[in-house]
Amino acid sequence: MPITALRAVSKAQNGVGAFVLQCKRLDFHYCDWAGASKGMKSFLTHKLPEFAKSNPQIEITVSPRPHQHPIIRGTYINGREKVICVRKLDHQQILQKTELLRNSSGQRLRRITKPVKSMNEGVRGIFSPFHGPKHVI
Amino acid sequence: MKRMRCRPSLCGRFLCPGAAAAAGPGKPFPTPQAAWRALSTVSTRPNAAVPSPPAEYPAETVVLVTPSRDPLSSAKLAALHARLSLHPKFPVQTLARALIDQSAERDRFFNNSSLAFLGNTLLGYYGTEHFLCTYPRLPSVVLQAAMAASVGPRPLASIGREWGVESAFEPTPNVDAGLLQFKRLPPGTVVTGSLRPPRSQGVTDEEAMADFVRATFAGVYLHEGVAASKQFFRQHVLSRKLELDKLFNFVQPTRELSRLCAREGFDSPVARLLSETGRMTNTPVFIVGIYSGNECLGEGQGGSLNEARIKAAANVLKGWYLYRPFDTADVPSKTDVYPDATFKPTMIDSGEVIV
Repeated sequence: MPITALRAVSKAQNGVGAFVLQCKRLDFHYCDWAGASKGMKSFLTHKLPEFAKSNPQIEITVSPRPHQHPIIRGTYINGREKVICVRKLDHQQILQKTELLRNSSGQRLRRITKPVKSMNEGVRGIFSPFHGPKHVI
Repeated sequence: MKRMRCRPSLCGRFLCPGAAAAAGPGKPFPTPQAAWRALSTVSTRPNAAVPSPPAEYPAETVVLVTPSRDPLSSAKLAALHARLSLHPKFPVQTLARALIDQSAERDRFFNNSSLAFLGNTLLGYYGTEHFLCTYPRLPSVVLQAAMAASVGPRPLASIGREWGVESAFEPTPNVDAGLLQFKRLPPGTVVTGSLRPPRSQGVTDEEAMADFVRATFAGVYLHEGVAASKQFFRQHVLSRKLELDKLFNFVQPTRELSRLCAREGFDSPVARLLSETGRMTNTPVFIVGIYSGNECLGEGQGGSLNEARIKAAANVLKGWYLYRPFDTADVPSKTDVYPDATFKPTMIDSGEVIV
C-alpha cells in the first residue's frame, strides 16, 4: 500500500507574517440633550477625526442615541463585541477608553498564568528516563 | 522592497476597464471616468434614486449604482484596504470587485471570477514551488495534502474571515460595497459530487470567501507587481502554522522502509530494543531503534513491541521524506522578480518508494 495523506488546515498566527488589527469597527453613540454626553460630544468634534486618521483600518460610525448614556462599542474579528459606557467622562478619558478598545483582541478577559503560549513543540523535548546515562541506585 | 509595475496587457485581460486604466503607467489612481466604470457592479439594474453622472460620459457606459454600492464611499472597504496594508496603487474598486461572487453578478466583467482564477493560479504556483524547494523528497500525495492545507478553499476561507470580511445577507444592489456578496445555497443542498448545483444557483460561504481571497491575491499581483504578490503570499499564507509531519499516513511503514533501504543501497533495516520498562505491568513502555548496519536511523516508543517498531519505522520514513537541504534552493519565481539573479536549482529526488 502506498503512502496516504491526512487532511489538515493551516492555523493562523497573527503577527508572525502580517498583523491584522483585531478591532474592526468602533461605534460611538451620544445624546444631543443630556449632560452626560458633554465630554463625548467634545471628543467627537475635536479628537475623533485625528483618531480616525491615525487608525484607517477601523471602520468608525457615529450615531445619536437619544436619552441614553453615551457608549463606545467595539466589534472584533472574532465576532465578539465590547461596550464601554463613557457617561460623564471628559474627552481625554474617552480617548483612553477608545484606545483600550482599539488595542483589545476581542477575546474574553482571562487570567494568564503562563508567560509563553505557543503552538510549537518544546525544542528541548520531553524528559525520557530511557535515554542518557543510567542512574544506579 | 522594490515594487514592480505589472504589464498593461495583463491588466487589461483580467481587470475591468476602469481598474485597468487605473493600473496603467503614470496613473496610480483612477480617472473619474474610469472610476465610474470601475465601480459599476450592476450593469442591468437601473436605480432611480441615484444621481445621474455628469453629462460628458457617454450614455451607454454610464451605469447607475446606489451610493452605498459605491466603493469610494464605503467605510468598510476603506478599512479593509488599510487592514491588509495594501498599497495605494491597489484601488478600492478592485477590492470591491473581488468581493462580488459570480453567483451574485453574472457579468464576468463585474464579478471576481477572472481575478479568482488568476489568484488560484498564483497561489498554486507559489505554494508548490515553496513546498518542493523546501522539501525535495515530499511524496506527491503529501504535497497535495500540504497544498490543500495551505492554499485550499478551507484555509483561504479562514484567511478571509481573519481579515474581518463580513458577508451580505443577500446580494441585493443596495448592500455595502465592503461586504462579500454571493447567493447562498438553500439549506440542505448537497454540495459535493455530481449532485452539486451549478455555481450560478449559489455557493457556500466557504467557496465565496476563498474566491475573494484568491481575487485579492490577483489584485496585488496586477496592481503592485510580482515582488509585492510574493511578499503578500509570504505574509498571509506561509506565515501560518502547518505541521507537515502530521500529514503522513503510512499503511505499512516497515515494508516501505525495507524497500527504501534496498533502493538506496543501505543495509536492510533491523529493529532493536533499546530500552523498556514495566513489561509485565498494565502500562509497559518500549523504545525500539531501527538500525541499518551500525547506524541508528530512528527511534520509536510504544506500549507494545510491535507498536514501538512500527512507530520507529514511520519516524525513519518521515525523516527521509521531510529532508531539507542545508542550503535552501531558490524558488523558480525568484527570476520573475530579479531576472538577472543567480539561480540555485533544487535537488531532484528519485521519488517515493513504490511498495
